[in-house]
Parts: sequence; structure tokens; C-alpha cells
Amino acid sequence: MIAELFQSISPGTLLATAVTTSAAGLWLLLPRGLGGGAERAARSLGGVLSLVALGCFIATGHRLGSVGEEAVFLIVSLLAVVSAAATIVARSPVYAAIWFAMTLAGVAGVLLVLGGQFLGVATIVVYAGAILVMFLFVLMLAQPAGLAPYDRVSNEPLLSAVAGAVLLGVLSLSIGRLSAPPAACCAMPASKAALLADAPSTDAAEPGVDLLADNHVARLGGELFGRHLLAVEVAGVLLLVALIGSIAIVSRGATADIEPAAARRAVP
Amino acid sequence: MTPTDTLSPLVLDGLVVGAMLFAIGLVGILARRNLIVMFLCAELMLQGISVSLVSWSRHHGDWGGHVLVILVLTVAACEAAVALVFVLQAFSRTGRLDAAAWQSLRESNLPRSIDHELPAIDTVPPRFPTLTRAGIEPAADEDRLLEREHV
Repeated sequence: MIAELFQSISPGTLLATAVTTSAAGLWLLLPRGLGGGAERAARSLGGVLSLVALGCFIATGHRLGSVGEEAVFLIVSLLAVVSAAATIVARSPVYAAIWFAMTLAGVAGVLLVLGGQFLGVATIVVYAGAILVMFLFVLMLAQPAGLAPYDRVSNEPLLSAVAGAVLLGVLSLSIGRLSAPPAACCAMPASKAALLADAPSTDAAEPGVDLLADNHVARLGGELFGRHLLAVEVAGVLLLVALIGSIAIVSRGATADIEPAAARRAVP
Repeated sequence: MTPTDTLSPLVLDGLVVGAMLFAIGLVGILARRNLIVMFLCAELMLQGISVSLVSWSRHHGDWGGHVLVILVLTVAACEAAVALVFVLQAFSRTGRLDAAAWQSLRESNLPRSIDHELPAIDTVPPRFPTLTRAGIEPAADEDRLLEREHV
């Protein structure tokens, strides 16, 4: 019944509803320091509106053909998007970091479904295992006990939510255009198209199938250390520079801070 | 592949998910004031980009997107290392993780952002299940009294 209801609405209306409700929902969900029942009511209403927006986005989505694939993709992408929204609306930064870990799990699932087996695992290992733990370390070092006032308010929540929703609407519109065949005005001249069609295709296999064949990681490694060897070397140098740079900043800051800190301690 | 080829539904949905992650990260980086949460939102935007890159990689049957995502991971690690050092420095100078603590860096014609008095937090302390008391009550541990109840 719900599916029929969604099908009776035109895609444009659906997308407009999704964008409007997501803006309103995010605006209500962002922390605004109202306190008490007002904040709770605003957050519940924002949650409901965001769910409506998610439903509209799911309805504008495409059928993948097989039920299993569709269900898996829906679950992991919902996990990623809902946890991402929770990351930005969580008042406590520690909870925000934990929700971000959930987002990473969802993103890893999406990457797996899209055929990036190595990347799905690498996202979990590198992001959730290393980068997120570093964030949590800094939070534990620097976070005062309880909720700080600056965690309970947002900068211009309405304008930010509208900006994000407008960007999302524009991106969804342009992605929707990609699914339609190009209009007559924009189609390339027949001579050029024929030239392109005659050109020898570099990838003989069907698009997408090639990536999912055997020895995925081995072929990714071959590509990475073959065609993109220079990029790997540059990335290695970048890591080294970041390591040395952060150590240099910390050590210089530590010596500069000793005297003011000592002065602060001396004067009660 | 000719440019007139249409995208498969899975690629389109992947692109939409990437766009949603990017937009949510954008809202967070604009709205939140905690420096660490702002960096988390930047990472969120990078995740959206990664999903889009892998979708395009699947569409073109090419490894370029995957290689770019690996480079994004590397650069994100570097960025996190350097940015967290800056955050720690900012914290040691102001005692706050607040972006508004650095508003003296704003342009001269912009008004100063002023924090208003916030109503008190009415969070109920969490209640955990307890066991029934048995045996002798141990002496209170001094160190445990210094622990935070919540973060």
C-alpha cells in the first residue's frame, strides 16, 4: 500500500519533499541549547521528519533487480546514513565518535557491495582502528567532564541544514539526470560517436564485472604498484612529513607553553 | 565503453549514498562548534567521496577509483595527525575545544558571536542493574571517587 502511495507521486515531488523534510529534520535535530522538554520535543519531531526524508529517498532509489542484493544494500546504506546523521547531532563528542564508527561500518558494507573488497576492509582497519582511536585519545585528553556549553549549541543550524539539503537536492537531481539517456540537444554528433564506437575498447569485459573477478586484491596491488607507483611513493613521503611535522609542532608548543603555564600556577 | 551507456542502478544508488554522506558532513562542519566533531564531519565528507569514487570505478570497470580511495585513506591519516596536534595546541591555549574561542580571527566587519545563558541540563543519571548486597562492605576507594560519572 505504501509502495503504491509512493508510486502515485511524481519523482520531482518526491525529491522536493525529501529535500525539504531533510532540511527541517536536521535543523530540529541539531543541538540548540533549548534544554528540557522543548529540546526533547524538537528532537523527536526532527527524527520523524528525517525518517520521512529517508523514506522519500528510498522511494526515489532504483530497483537493483535481486531482492537479496537490494536488501543488503538498503541495510548497509541506511546504517551509514542514519549513523552519519547521528554523528552530527550527538551532543557528546564521544558519542559522535562512536556513531562515526558505525558510519564506517556502513560505508565498508557499501564498498563491499560496490565491489571494493579490499577498500571495505581497509576502511575498517585504518579508519576505525587507527584514526578514530586517535580522535578518542584526544577527546579523552581534552574533553571536560560533562557537556560543555559549546557542545549544546550550534552555529546557525537553520542555514547549515538548508545549505546541506540544497546541496543534496542538486546532487540527487544531477545523479537522476545521469540515469536518463542524453537528450537530443546534448547528444554528440553521429560522426564522433561512430569514431568512439570504432575505437578499440581497452576493457573488453563488461563494466563492473572485471573488478569482481578472481584475485581481486592481487590485481589491485598490481595496478597500485604498477601504473600508480609514483603516487604510492608520494603518499609514503606525505606520511613521513606529517609524522615529523606533528612531532615538531608538539615539541615547539610544549617549550613555548612552559613559561605561561608556570606563571599561571604561581599566581593563584 | 561509449559515453551514451547508462549507469547501472547499483552505481546510481551508490552515488546517492555518497552524496547524502557528503551533505550530512557539510551540515555538521557548518553547524557544530566542537573542533573534534568538526574534524569528524570532514572525515564524513571524505567517506562520501570514497563511496562515489568506488561507484564510478565500478561503472567504468577501472581501478582508478580504488587507487584514489587508498590515497584518500593515506591523506586522511596524515590530516588527522596534523589536525589533532593543532586541536591539542588550541586546547592548551584556551582550555576549550570551541571554534568560537578563536573568533578574534574573524573579519573586522563581522559581529562578535555571543553565547547566551543556557538552561541547565536535565539529564537523568543512568541507572544500571545492581546485585543484591552480600558480605562485608569494602572500604571506599579514594581513586574511584575521582572518576567521571559520564563523558
